[in-house]
Amino acid sequence: MPLRPVEFHILLALASEERHGYAILQEVAALTEGGLELEPGTLYRALHRMLKDGWVAESARRPAADQDDERRRYYRLTALGRRIATAEADRLWRLVSLARTHRLLSHG
Amino acid sequence: MADLSRRSVGAKTDSGSGDLPRRVAWWLVWAYPPRFRRDVGQGLVDALDDRMRARRAAGASSAAVWARAVADTLRNAGAEWVDEVRRVRLKPDTTYHQEPSGVEHPTYVVSGFSRTADHTGRTAMDTLLQDVRYAFRLWRRRPGFAFVAILTLALGIGANTAMFSIVNAVLLRPLPYPNADRLVSVYGQTTAFPRGLLSYGEYEEIRKQADTFEAVALWFPQSVNLTGVDEPQRLVGTFVTGSFFDVLGLKAERGRFFTEAESAPGTVKPVVVITHQTWQRRFNGDASAIGQTMTLNGVPLTVVGIIAPPFDADSVPSDGYFLGADVFIPTAQFPAPRGLHAAGPVMLGVGRLKPGVSAARASADLEVIRQRLVAAGLQTTAGAQSSFVAQSGRTLGAEPAQEAIIGTSRTALFLLLASVGVVLLIACVNVSQLLLARAVDREREIALRVALGASRRAVTRQLAVEAGLLAVTASITGFVLGRWALAGLSWLQPPASVPIPTHVPLDARVLLFTGIVALLTATMCGLAPALRSARPNINRVLQAGSRRASGIGHRTRDVLMVIEVGFSVTLVAVSVLLIQSLLAVQQAPLGFDQSNVFTLQFRLPQNKYPKPENIARFFKSAIENVRAIPNVESAALVRAVPFSGNGGTVGYAIEGRPVPDPASAPQARFHIVTPDYFKTMRIPLLKGRDFTDRDDLQTPLVAVINDTFARRAWPGDDPIGKRFTTPQTPGPITVIGIVGDTKHYTATEPAVPQLYAAHYQVPLIFSSLVARVKGPAAGTMSVTNDIRKAIWSVDKDQPMWAVASLEATVARTQGQARFLALLLGIFAGVALLLAGVGIYGVTSYGVAQRTHEIGIRLALGASSERVLREVVGRGVRLTLVGVAAGIVSAIMMARLAAAVLFAVKPTDPVALALAAAILGGVSVAACVVPARRASRVDPVVALAEE
Repeated sequence: MPLRPVEFHILLALASEERHGYAILQEVAALTEGGLELEPGTLYRALHRMLKDGWVAESARRPAADQDDERRRYYRLTALGRRIATAEADRLWRLVSLARTHRLLSHG
Repeated sequence: MADLSRRSVGAKTDSGSGDLPRRVAWWLVWAYPPRFRRDVGQGLVDALDDRMRARRAAGASSAAVWARAVADTLRNAGAEWVDEVRRVRLKPDTTYHQEPSGVEHPTYVVSGFSRTADHTGRTAMDTLLQDVRYAFRLWRRRPGFAFVAILTLALGIGANTAMFSIVNAVLLRPLPYPNADRLVSVYGQTTAFPRGLLSYGEYEEIRKQADTFEAVALWFPQSVNLTGVDEPQRLVGTFVTGSFFDVLGLKAERGRFFTEAESAPGTVKPVVVITHQTWQRRFNGDASAIGQTMTLNGVPLTVVGIIAPPFDADSVPSDGYFLGADVFIPTAQFPAPRGLHAAGPVMLGVGRLKPGVSAARASADLEVIRQRLVAAGLQTTAGAQSSFVAQSGRTLGAEPAQEAIIGTSRTALFLLLASVGVVLLIACVNVSQLLLARAVDREREIALRVALGASRRAVTRQLAVEAGLLAVTASITGFVLGRWALAGLSWLQPPASVPIPTHVPLDARVLLFTGIVALLTATMCGLAPALRSARPNINRVLQAGSRRASGIGHRTRDVLMVIEVGFSVTLVAVSVLLIQSLLAVQQAPLGFDQSNVFTLQFRLPQNKYPKPENIARFFKSAIENVRAIPNVESAALVRAVPFSGNGGTVGYAIEGRPVPDPASAPQARFHIVTPDYFKTMRIPLLKGRDFTDRDDLQTPLVAVINDTFARRAWPGDDPIGKRFTTPQTPGPITVIGIVGDTKHYTATEPAVPQLYAAHYQVPLIFSSLVARVKGPAAGTMSVTNDIRKAIWSVDKDQPMWAVASLEATVARTQGQARFLALLLGIFAGVALLLAGVGIYGVTSYGVAQRTHEIGIRLALGASSERVLREVVGRGVRLTLVGVAAGIVSAIMMARLAAAVLFAVKPTDPVALALAAAILGGVSVAACVVPARRASRVDPVVALAEE
């Protein structure tokens, strides 16, 4: 059940901690070293979908006060979301292993 | 990337209302569906706001920042709405999860196209949308490519759409009347006049006897004088029989039309019907117009009805042909000195056939009627004037009205359509190249995808969709461009002979044409790349370097280049031919000096000047007054000003020789002039003398003939003093002088015999004044005003019109050739541009492909000049082939246009050589730039290129 890369990146970004929208954008950019610069609209479409499917949820908790902006909405992974992220990572790992066996990779 | 702080960027006030970026963000989020906004709208606003601030802080301009935000919103809001709609259509509890689609970024593993086609909830529409979105994504990555491809195609498609709209409006659409396909023009045919006029007697018989016609009518447009108003004016009137309105299926907007009885001689009533425009202009749309009086040609006529316009005047060329007039007057009011029955053939015939009857059958019917007329001895009823009916060689015929109208413009329009088609072909070749090049670039990625499980069919489908999308976008853009071009065309003021309506309406046929063109374009452009990419040799592609092994085949590249050059040569050559022809036309000697001459026309009201003596007296006074004006060097009257489109012909018989059959008698162009005409027009008097005031109604008839007449009628003899007769004159006419040949209708007509009669001997109510003005036009307007005042001092109620300089009148007849040359020049220019770009593209791509190989050669010691020469040499050879092919097709196309060419043969060497030279130059230049780049390649870099 392959995920869209956007979705996977969002799950990744939320894996370590809860974030609000713009922070997710920043985290994705950081993780891909500038390779994937999402637009807010694209991000929120994916977020909306994942909200409906139950992969992410709005967070009831708030981070420490000095970083907090009360009006922002924070998002977190649900258990289902975490499972899906893990499944996708496994799938990708298997594919990469296959590729390595067939000498398709340019690294390692 | 630097460590990104996680603090929120930028200060935020509590209300945020004074914050422009935030407000912009709110507005943008409004574009999303309600459910989306409710769920995540707030977060999106925050994120948009942050993003915009961050970008501004990084130094981007406001415009750029907002543009990106808007683009993002459009894309995603649109997609979200699409999803919303689909969500609503499916069962509410279906979790709709879209299939992932293609490549997001080259270094990520590709999730391929779905191999199976039976996913739940997936329809063909989804696949299509997916392909479409993918294509858009690709375009976004390479915006330059998309822009160039779409613009190129849009130019070609737009030009074709515009041209076809015109052709459709002029040639293909039927006349804007009910049952237009059954409308025919009825004419009398003799050897001199293949499409001549009908007489009233013939009309009456046809009306009584023809059973192939549902209705038949007479009509004739002529200028009429409107008096009894502050400024006497000339209107365009049409004399019609009552049946005219029935033939054309016209309806009265108000009032009624006059009947057949009311238009017939003997029972005629003083009534008139006006057009809608006249009603608006002269009566301000007032309902009380019905019943008012208009004094036309001195006769007070009562307005009884207003014609409801059957069409939108701006969208039909030539005012719908039959209705190009201000007023419609009963036929019996036609100015015929001895009455309509005796006037002979003076009017045009039009009829409506019965359903299912062909024009040929109607012609046969008419011929039968004519025989019956001859047998019944119609010539006894109205004297010698009606003997024309029995003229041998005269037949009656009918042909579809559309045929009669279109005539010569057909060639010109098809020529333009063909040129514009060539432009489109060149555009398609260009875009084909672009697509091919890109397909090659993507071969690696496509092969990878196929290896990972995508079906070949899916790949081909995606390419086809992309080509189709290209075509659709280009045709929409092109369509809009085409409409603008049409608006611009009418600004160029095309001449009347290339009828382009002011407002070209949107026709289903035009849309269909655009659709077909788009389809063909897509097929042509997309076919080659699709075929190639559907069968890539995967192993070869994946193992070898990116560009080295594959690439557009040499053959394909060469063929494309030859095609481009060939088409362009054709277009340029034909354009040059036409321009040459135009120049020849402009330089052809006319036989007179058209500079500094002003003309005006007038028609004397019949009842005011019933006798020839009255007319002659008016003429004499008028000329005297005009001559008295200080700046006027000389003045005269002439019945028909050269190049005004008016004129007449008459048969003649030389005295002392056997009288020829009237149907095959030699014809001479017939002019009526006053003394000093030749001096005013600077027509050389070769022998004998000009008319004088003493040649008038009391003295024997005299004439001046032109050189051609003299040489044909009395070869080797002195014509002065010789005599001849014409059917209309009571006695013999003596030749008193010979003048040089002149042109009368077009600058390119062959020399014909012309004869000039003295106006004081043949005073007719319609005439024109020509006056030569001294000095540098001493203020154009003031001179013509003085002339008008001079004539008004003879008769203050006399309307005049067509005050123009002779130069302008002559120039107007060259309008068609000039306009054609202009348009063709534009098309050729566009084609040249496209071809240049295309050749450059194909050559530079070929060079880029061979960079590796070139690098090796340079490293092995080849000189860069050698490389340069080789690349350019190859280009030159291909150019020669293309030029040769282009010249051959140029000759063929020029033969088709031979009707429009004057003094220039289709095989004119100058035109062909010029086209070849231009294209050769462009082609070589387009090769040289990439070639130079190739020769300067650093061997190290080239070798490392992978």
